[in-house]
Amino acid sequence: MAKLLVVDDEEHIRLLYSEELSEAGYEVITAADGYKLMERIDEERPDLVILDIKMADYNGLDLLQEIRSKFYNLPVILCTAYDTFKEDIKSVAADFYVIKSFDLTELKKKIAMALEANIPSS
Amino acid sequence: MFEPEVNPENIKKAAFVVAIPSYNEADSIAFPVQQADQGIQLFFGNMESAIINCDNNSNDGTKEVFLGIKTRTPKIYLSTEPGIRGKGNNFRNLFKKVVDLHAKAVVVVDADLKSITPKWIRHLGEPLFQDFGYVVPLYVRHKYDGTITNSIAYPLIRSLYGRRVRQPIGGDFGFCGKLARTYFHSDTWSDGVANFGIDVWMTTLAMNENIPICQAFMGRPKIHRPKDPGSDLGPMFRQVVGTIFDMMIKFYPFWSQVKWSKPTAIFGFGLGETEMPPPVAVNDEILFRKFQGGFSTYGHIWETVLSKETVGKLREIREMDQERFDFPTHLWINVLIDFAVAYKDRLWSGDELLDSLVPLYLGKTLSYVKKTERMSIGESEEFIEEECIQFEASKGVLIQRWNEKPTA
Repeated sequence: MAKLLVVDDEEHIRLLYSEELSEAGYEVITAADGYKLMERIDEERPDLVILDIKMADYNGLDLLQEIRSKFYNLPVILCTAYDTFKEDIKSVAADFYVIKSFDLTELKKKIAMALEANIPSS
Repeated sequence: MFEPEVNPENIKKAAFVVAIPSYNEADSIAFPVQQADQGIQLFFGNMESAIINCDNNSNDGTKEVFLGIKTRTPKIYLSTEPGIRGKGNNFRNLFKKVVDLHAKAVVVVDADLKSITPKWIRHLGEPLFQDFGYVVPLYVRHKYDGTITNSIAYPLIRSLYGRRVRQPIGGDFGFCGKLARTYFHSDTWSDGVANFGIDVWMTTLAMNENIPICQAFMGRPKIHRPKDPGSDLGPMFRQVVGTIFDMMIKFYPFWSQVKWSKPTAIFGFGLGETEMPPPVAVNDEILFRKFQGGFSTYGHIWETVLSKETVGKLREIREMDQERFDFPTHLWINVLIDFAVAYKDRLWSGDELLDSLVPLYLGKTLSYVKKTERMSIGESEEFIEEECIQFEASKGVLIQRWNEKPTA
């Protein structure tokens, strides 16, 4: 069972994602902000991170840079209410960019694609 | 008298090298050399460094201009033998030299660059001293600049090798010393690689070696000599696309295992406001005419290379007038798959086959121009991303076609 880490400062989003994604067959863990996120990833070893961009004390795009430099191949899906951050060059380092919605169809599709993505070792 | 190397300061070791390939660039090489020198002094001043001009024995005085520029960084001039041309041949000299110099990091920039700043050297070089082995540029380009990249190189390389590198033939790169040795000893050298195929060859080898790749944001657009996509493509198209197809044959065991794609790390922020690129003019009429003309010139090749359905679809879009013209993405993907397979199976000589792909590529380009004409650069980027996902989703079809027995 793939383990997903949801990082979002809105409690209802964490609850919604936990319920829906657990029902979809994933193990879901959550974090309310980016505090000690790298240590958390190091300890929990999630298979994928779902990362909010605009959080109270953290910027998801900066966290994404940190994740990409420490965990080069870890899939990260940026999940935000705002379309505008797509213009930010930093978002290119994400596997996918998904607009938040109560309908999780698109997010689930992108999770499946990111988990399936494979580059063999040479 | 011909000199293959001029090394006035007798440099034997350099941890950091900036290289500038050239052929007859006497009127433009001074600016990138000066910017490279400033970049080295500002950001790599504590290292033994060198600037290398790898030249095709230019007859316009490139060598004299290069060696005459006052720089704080030592300079080395390398040349291919008289009569030997090609960007790739210049790189081959470079690979040998940087291996000899024990370079840890090498940055390459084009000699006709007008928008380079010292920070470009930092952005292409600094990741090589972190965890990355290959650095490609990420610049904002006009939506009609780099159409071979947009329609062929980017989607194909991404879907084949699984790494999203937006400018796989960007011309400006950074690579580590280990990769320089890999390049120097590679047995995949070809005539295409010796020329314009060198960029895509380097990117492909880096991916196949699983070298960590970083895209460096340059902040400014690449300003050099943009080309109208309808103008003469010359041998460049053959060399770039031929090299992609050659690499597909060589690296089938790798790419056949790749599914979907993964992003790379990004480097280079805090550059202030991003500059917008200058407009690129496109002549729709020429693109349309050349696409139409392909049926009489290359129809006999297409009949043997493409599936019946694909030929039928091409005839269908041939009937469209220029205003309504559309070359659907799935049709373009099928065309590229069939051409790659035909290239592998040697149904035609490589040059004949690749020349016959040009009118179809121009048709696809016209379709892209029409679909994106009201789009911003950001929107056209999203359009290309959507196309890439379709390329990735077609991987199974490619593998199936690749393994079929040739019928012609």
